[in-house]
Amino acid sequence: MLKRIAYITLFALTLTSCSDDLDEINKNPNATETPLAPYLLTGTLKQGADLYWGSTNNFDSSLLFVQHWAKIQYTEPDRFDVSNASFTTLWNTGYATLITDLNTILNFPADQANSNYKGIALTLRSWTFLLLTDAYGSIPYKEAGQKVTPAYNTQKEVYTGLLEDLKQAQTLLNTANGTVTGDLVYKGDITKWKKLVNSLRLRIALRISDREPALAKQAAIDATSDAAGVLSSNSDTFKFTYTSSPQQNPASAWFETRDDYRISKTLVDKLNELADPRLPVYAQLPSDATVGKYVGGANGLSNSDANSQGFAKTSKPGTYFLTSSSPAVIASYSETLFNLAEAVARGYISGNAEQLYNDAITASFNQFGITNAATISTYLNQAVVKYDASNYAKSIGTQKWIAFYGQGLDAFTEWRRLDFPVLTAGPATVLDGKIPSRFFYPGTEQSLNGASYQAAIAVQGKDLLTTKLWFDVK
Amino acid sequence: MKKKLNRYTWICILLISIGIKAQETKPLIQSKLEGTVIDAVTKEPVIGASVNIKGTTHGVLTDFDGKFFFQTGQKFPYTLVVSFLGYKKAETVVTQNAVVIGLEQEQNQLSEVVVTALGISKEKKSLGYTTQSLKNKEIVDTKETNFLNNLTGKLAGVRITNSQGDMGSSRIIIRGETSIAGNNQPLFVVDGVPVDNSQLGSVGGATRDFKNAIADLNPQDIESLTVLKGPNAAALYGSRAAHGVVLITTKSGKNQKGLGISFSTGITISQVTTLPRFQNSFGQGSNGRFSFVDGKGGGINDGVDESWGPRLDGRLIPQFYSNGEAVPFVAHPDNVKDFFNTGVTYDNSVSVAKSDEKSDFRLGVNNQKQLGTVPNSEVNKTNVSINSNYQISKGIKVGVTGNYIVTDAPALPGGPSGNRAAGVMLQFIWFGRQVDINQLKNNRNVNWNNSYYSNPYWNAYYNTTSQQRNRIIGDIHLDAKLAEGLNFRFRTGIDYYNDRRKYKIKYGTNGTPFGSYAEDAYTVSEQNTEGIFTYTKKLSDDFTVDALGGFNVRTHSDANNYQKAPRLAVPDLYTITNSRDPLTASNSYSRLKVYSAYASAQFGYKNYAYLNLTARNDWSSTLPSSNRSYFYPSVNGSLILSEALNLKSNTLDFLKVRGGWSEVGNDADPYQLSTVYNFQTAFDGNPIQTSSQKKLNENLKPETTRSTEIGLEASFWKNRLHFDAAYYNTNSFDQILEIKTTASSGYNSQLINAGKINNRGIELQLDGNPIQTENFKWNVALNYSKNKSEVKILDYDRQIQNYTIGTSGGVDVLASVGQAYGALYGTAYLRDANGNIVVGANGLPKADPQKKVLGHYTPDWIGGITNTITYKNLELSFLVDASVGGELFSGTNRTGNYTGVLAQTLPGRGAENGGLNYYLAGTTKTLLPAGASAPGGATVYDDGMIFNGVYADGTPNTQVLSAQEYYKASYNISEAYIYSSTFVKLREVKLTYNVDKKLARKIGFDGASITAAGRNLFFIYKDAPNIDPETAFNTGNAQGLESLALPTTRNFSLNLNLKF
Repeated sequence: MLKRIAYITLFALTLTSCSDDLDEINKNPNATETPLAPYLLTGTLKQGADLYWGSTNNFDSSLLFVQHWAKIQYTEPDRFDVSNASFTTLWNTGYATLITDLNTILNFPADQANSNYKGIALTLRSWTFLLLTDAYGSIPYKEAGQKVTPAYNTQKEVYTGLLEDLKQAQTLLNTANGTVTGDLVYKGDITKWKKLVNSLRLRIALRISDREPALAKQAAIDATSDAAGVLSSNSDTFKFTYTSSPQQNPASAWFETRDDYRISKTLVDKLNELADPRLPVYAQLPSDATVGKYVGGANGLSNSDANSQGFAKTSKPGTYFLTSSSPAVIASYSETLFNLAEAVARGYISGNAEQLYNDAITASFNQFGITNAATISTYLNQAVVKYDASNYAKSIGTQKWIAFYGQGLDAFTEWRRLDFPVLTAGPATVLDGKIPSRFFYPGTEQSLNGASYQAAIAVQGKDLLTTKLWFDVK
Repeated sequence: MKKKLNRYTWICILLISIGIKAQETKPLIQSKLEGTVIDAVTKEPVIGASVNIKGTTHGVLTDFDGKFFFQTGQKFPYTLVVSFLGYKKAETVVTQNAVVIGLEQEQNQLSEVVVTALGISKEKKSLGYTTQSLKNKEIVDTKETNFLNNLTGKLAGVRITNSQGDMGSSRIIIRGETSIAGNNQPLFVVDGVPVDNSQLGSVGGATRDFKNAIADLNPQDIESLTVLKGPNAAALYGSRAAHGVVLITTKSGKNQKGLGISFSTGITISQVTTLPRFQNSFGQGSNGRFSFVDGKGGGINDGVDESWGPRLDGRLIPQFYSNGEAVPFVAHPDNVKDFFNTGVTYDNSVSVAKSDEKSDFRLGVNNQKQLGTVPNSEVNKTNVSINSNYQISKGIKVGVTGNYIVTDAPALPGGPSGNRAAGVMLQFIWFGRQVDINQLKNNRNVNWNNSYYSNPYWNAYYNTTSQQRNRIIGDIHLDAKLAEGLNFRFRTGIDYYNDRRKYKIKYGTNGTPFGSYAEDAYTVSEQNTEGIFTYTKKLSDDFTVDALGGFNVRTHSDANNYQKAPRLAVPDLYTITNSRDPLTASNSYSRLKVYSAYASAQFGYKNYAYLNLTARNDWSSTLPSSNRSYFYPSVNGSLILSEALNLKSNTLDFLKVRGGWSEVGNDADPYQLSTVYNFQTAFDGNPIQTSSQKKLNENLKPETTRSTEIGLEASFWKNRLHFDAAYYNTNSFDQILEIKTTASSGYNSQLINAGKINNRGIELQLDGNPIQTENFKWNVALNYSKNKSEVKILDYDRQIQNYTIGTSGGVDVLASVGQAYGALYGTAYLRDANGNIVVGANGLPKADPQKKVLGHYTPDWIGGITNTITYKNLELSFLVDASVGGELFSGTNRTGNYTGVLAQTLPGRGAENGGLNYYLAGTTKTLLPAGASAPGGATVYDDGMIFNGVYADGTPNTQVLSAQEYYKASYNISEAYIYSSTFVKLREVKLTYNVDKKLARKIGFDGASITAAGRNLFFIYKDAPNIDPETAFNTGNAQGLESLALPTTRNFSLNLNLKF
C-alpha cells in the first residue's frame, strides 16, 4: 500500500519535473524580438511628431523662449526658472526611441526593408540629430547607439556628418526601389521624400553659413541642383496629421484639461503692427466678450502678475492649433522658400530673393488658409513687410519667426541664428536679462555618461542656458 | 534535452530505492498509574507534556489538567521520563501511588530548539549563525492590519519601514540591501510553503500604495515567527536566501487535548499623526491679493492655489461658498486635520482545535473590518485556515494546511504624490488656509479651487480605487519513518491569488472632465514541490551525525491584464465599454521554473562542538542554458565553550562561539535574455512597434552572494542576563542590473551582470531580568544593529559610476560606486570657495550646475528596547525604537514652502514676523530702513527678506525679496529639502491582564486575557519637520523620497482573548 503511494508520487513528480523545457518556459510571451519596418516607421513618425509638437520641447520651452506663447500661470519655464531635469524628453525620446528604431530599420537585411525604407529612416534620423544638436550643441553622433558611454561630437562634426547622411539618403530613395507602407505622412510617395531630403540639406547649409560659408554654399548648391528638387508646394509640406483622442494633437489634448498658456503679447503686438491677417488664425478672442480684441499674455511675468492679466481677458492660441486633428508641421514649403531667399541673399545660389521672400509669406498665408490674392498683396506691399535687401536677416528673420508659429524648436534655432526679431526677456526672468541660447543637457548625463559630458562642456562652455552654441555666432 | 533530464533522474532513483518499513509493538495490559505534571514554580498544570516509561516506547501526553494515566505491562517501580518544551527533562521513579511531578523551567540555552531552514528543528546551540524568533503574543496583541509593522524594533538587524497611512505596504529588510537592483525583501515561508510577498501595481505612476501580499496573513494564526538572517542561515533555500528568510509556523491542533475553542475580539481606533504644521496668518491668493469669482482665474488670483494671499484678519472677501458675497476671511487651522476620520478596525477570530493519538486539527476563522482615516476608505478581510494531520499507520503521517483569504476593499485611500483626481495629500499641501472644510463636506459639487482640483470629498467618495483579492495558500504533506533514524518528508504547496482593482474617476472631475474607468487584474501562482530525506545517527557516545538530502521544483507565474476607458461616454456607468475613445489595454505573462537538489549534514561531538555543511544546486529557466546550473555550498560551526572547557560557574551559564561562510546563487527575472520591441496603440489602422528602450543580455550568469558571519552568545547568573553578538560581511557580486544608460547609447537601460555590493555590520541582542521574584518580574530586551554598505563596482569596464534606483522631485536615489547604497543625488546650491551660497543680481540663490550627493537613505543604526513588567497576572510592556542617521528628501516641505501653507513660511511675512520694508523702484525692490517712507509716496511693503548668501564677487547679498519669492526660491534646489531621517518613537505600549487560570475555569473558561495597546504613540525625537520620516514610499528600493505621503496613524486597541 505505502509502496504504491510512494511509487505513484514519484512517478507524478518525475513527469512534472522532466516534461518541461526550461528554454521554452523562458520564451517571452509578451513582446516580439523581430519588428517590422512599416510598423517602426509609423511609430517614429507618430512619436517624432509628439516630440516636436508636445509640451516639453515646444510649448513649455522653445515656444516661450521665442515669445510665441506665454504662460498665464506656473510661469517658471516662461521665466527660464528651469533645471537640468527640464529638457530630458528630447534627448531620451530622440535617442532611445527615434534613432534606435530608425537604426533598426537601417540595420535590417534587404528582405526586411527595401532601400526606400532605409532612405526614409536615414532622413528621419538626420532630422532627429538636427533637432538634438540645434537644442543642446555638442551631442553624441558618431558613437550614438554604438557604445554605453558614447563620446560627444561638436556641432561642426554633426552638421557636416548630417549633410553626408542626407546625401546618402538621397541615393537610397528611388521610386524604382520598392514600395513603402506605414508612411502616414507622404503615403509612400518617394518623390516627396526626395524633396524633403533636399529641403533639409538646404536647412543645414544655412545653419552653418555663419561659420563655414564655403561649405554652406556648396551644400546649398548641392541641395538645390539635385534633380528631385526641394519642397515645391504646400502639399509637399512635411506634417503629421492627428486624428482624434487618444491620437489627438498634443496641444489640443493639453487644453482639454488645462489652461496654462496664452498667445504671447510680443507676437500679438507684432501681428497688429503688420496688420497681419494670420492673427485670427493664431489667436482666439478672449472668452470675456467685453474685451472684443486679441490680447496677448506678456512673457516672463511672476505667477501673480501673469495671473492678474486675467484668464478671461487674454487670448488663447487659435483653434487652428487646438483641435484634435490639428497637424504637427515639421518642415513647411514656406520655410523652404525663406531658406531659398536667404541662400540667394547670401549669394550661394542665383535667384530673386525678394520674390522668394514674398512667395514664402504667401505660402505661409496659404498654409493657414488665407488665399485671397488681394489680402496677400496688400500685406506684402506694406513698407514694414517689404523685403529689405540691405538687411535680409531682419526681413527674413521677422517673417520666418511669424511663419514658424507653433514650431517652437525651429523658430528658436532660426531666431538665434538670424537674431531677428529682437526679443526682450520678461521682467521676472532669472537669466540677468538674457533669453536662453540652448537647452540644458539632461542632468542624468552627469551620472550616466560623466566623462564624455565633461569633455564636451570643456570645449563648448559651461552647461548653462546662456552658453552660445557654435552655429549661433552673435 | 534528454541528456539534461538525466541530471534529475538520480533524485528519482534515490527515492525509489528506499524501502518503507512499518513497525508496531503492543503493550500488555497490567499495571495502572495516575499522575499530574505541574510547573514547579507556578504550580500550574503543564498541558501536553510527554511522559514516557524509561526503556520502553510507551508514552502518553498530559491532558488539560496536566493529568496522565498509564495502563501497562510494566512492573512497579519503574522510571518515568517527563519532558516538555522549555522545561528541564525530569526523571521520577514511580510506584502504584498517584504522583505529582514538578517540572523546572529550562534556564539555559543548552536544549533550546529552534526552527531552521526547510522547517527542520535543531538545537540552537548547534548552529553557526543567528536566528531570532517571535512568539504569537509579540505579534498579535496590537492588531496592526499589516502585521509586519508589529515586528518593528523587536528584531536585531531587521529594518521595517511602516506603511504610510493606515492601509499601505510595509518594507522589511534584513541586514541591509544586498541586491543593488532586485527585490531585497526576504523570502516568506509559511509552514514550509514559500509565499508570495509582491506589491503589485505599486510601480510606474500608480497612485496607491497597495499592501504587500504577506499582509494577507492573519496574525492570530501564527504560532511563531523565525527570522533567518541572510545567506548563512538560509543557504538551503538557495536562490532566494540572499535577503534572508522569515519562517512562519502557524498554530495547529497538536497538544490540544479534547476540543479547544479560542475566541478573540478586538477593536482598534486610529488617528492621523504628524500632519504638516500649517500657518494661519495668510489665506489663499498671491502677492497679498485674493477674491473669488469662479476659482479658475475669473476673480483676483482665485485660480491660484497657494496661500500668499491677504491676511486672515476677518476682512470681507467673496469666497467659494458665498455666491459673490464678501464674507470674513479667517483661518481654519484644522481644515486639513478635520478631513480625516477616526479610523476603526474590528477584528474577530474563532478557532477550534482538537487532537488525539492519531490526528490533530485546527480550524480558524478571522474577520477584520477596517474603516480608515481617509473618508470612505474601507478594507474587509476574511481568513479561513485549516491545519490537520492524520497518522495513517505507525510510520506514516499525512497532513494538509490551507488558508483561504478574501480581501475586499471597496475604496482605498489615495496614495503618494498621486494625481489630482485621487490623491489626498496633494490637494492639502496647496489647501488655502482660509478654506472651511465643512463647506466642502456639505456640498461636494463646490470647491475652493477649480483650476486643478475637485472637492476632496468628491475625490474620496467618487474617485475610488477598489481591490478584491482571493487567495489560497496551502499544502499537502506526508511524513514517513523509513527506518530507525531515517525519515522522508514530501510536500507540495501552492500560493495562488487573483487580485483585481477597479479605478473610477467620476464624470465632471476637474482635469478629467469625462471621467475614466480602468480595471487591473493580476493572477499570481507560486508552486513548490519538495522531498527531503533526513537521517540521524549516533555514531558513538561522542559523535552524532544528522544528514539531509532533498529536491525542490519551483514554478512561479504571474499574469496581468489592464483595460481602461480613458473617457467615459455617459456618467456614472463604470464599464469598460462605456467609452468615447478606443480602450487602452495591456497584458503580460511571466513564468519561471527552478529545479533544485540539496543536501546538508551536521556532525556533533560530545554535545559541544558542531559542524554544519550544506550544498545546493539550482537549474533555473531564466538563465541561458550554458549558465543555467549553479552550485553553492556553505559551512558553519559552533563550539559551546562553557561545556568544552568546563567554564560553567555561578556567574556564567553558557558561552558559545560560532562562525560560518556561505555562498548562494540567484537567478534573473524571466525574459531577460533577448531584446524585444513593444507594440503601441495603432494609429488609424496602422500598427506601431517601437523599441522597448531596454537592451537585454543573452549571456546572463547567476548572481552570487558570499557571506561570512561570526558570533558570540553568553548567559549569566542563571540566565538573568543573556547576550548575543554577531558580525557579518556579505559580498554580492555578478549582480544583474538594469542600469540606466544615457539614451545616446541607444537604450535608456541595459542589463549588465557585474554589480558588486558589500554589506557588513554588527547585531547585538541583550535580554535581562533585573528583577525576578515570584510575583514581580522586570524584563529588558534590547537590540541594536548597524549595517554599512558600499557599492563596489557596477560594470567590469568601470564605465558606469551610478545606478539609478528611483527618482522623485528631481532627486535620484543612486547606487553610486564608492558610496553607501541609496545615495540621494540632486541639485545643490552654488557655493563659493568659503561655502557661502551664491546669489544672482536678483537676490535669488543659484543652483550648482553639477549635481551632488546630498545624503543616503540607509540609517547608520537601528535599535529597539522593550521593557516588560509582570506583576502577578498583569503585564505591562513598552517599546521604544530608534533609527539613527540617513537622510530623506521631503516633497511635502518642498511643495509646502512653495505654496506658503506651512508654518515654517511665516518668518518674514509682514512686519509682525520680522519682515523688512521695501518699495518698488520701477520693478526693482528697494530696501527701506524701518520707519522710513518711500520716495514719491510709493507703496511700502513689509514682507521683505534677504536670502543669506553672497554675490559672485563675494560681497554679501543685499537684494530684498518678497517673502513669497524667498520661500519659492529654492524649489528647484533639492539640497534645501534634505533632512535627517533620524527618529526615536514610542512605538508600543501594551497592558495585558491574564485572568488567573483557576478563576477562569470557575467562570467557565480555560483561559482569558485582555490587552490594551497603543502603537506609534509619539515621536520622542525627529528632525524632519511636517512629516513622518519613517514613511515608506512603497516596498521597493527607491526609499528616502518622501512625497506627499498620507499621514501615519496612531492606534489604540483593546483586545479580549477567551479559551473554552
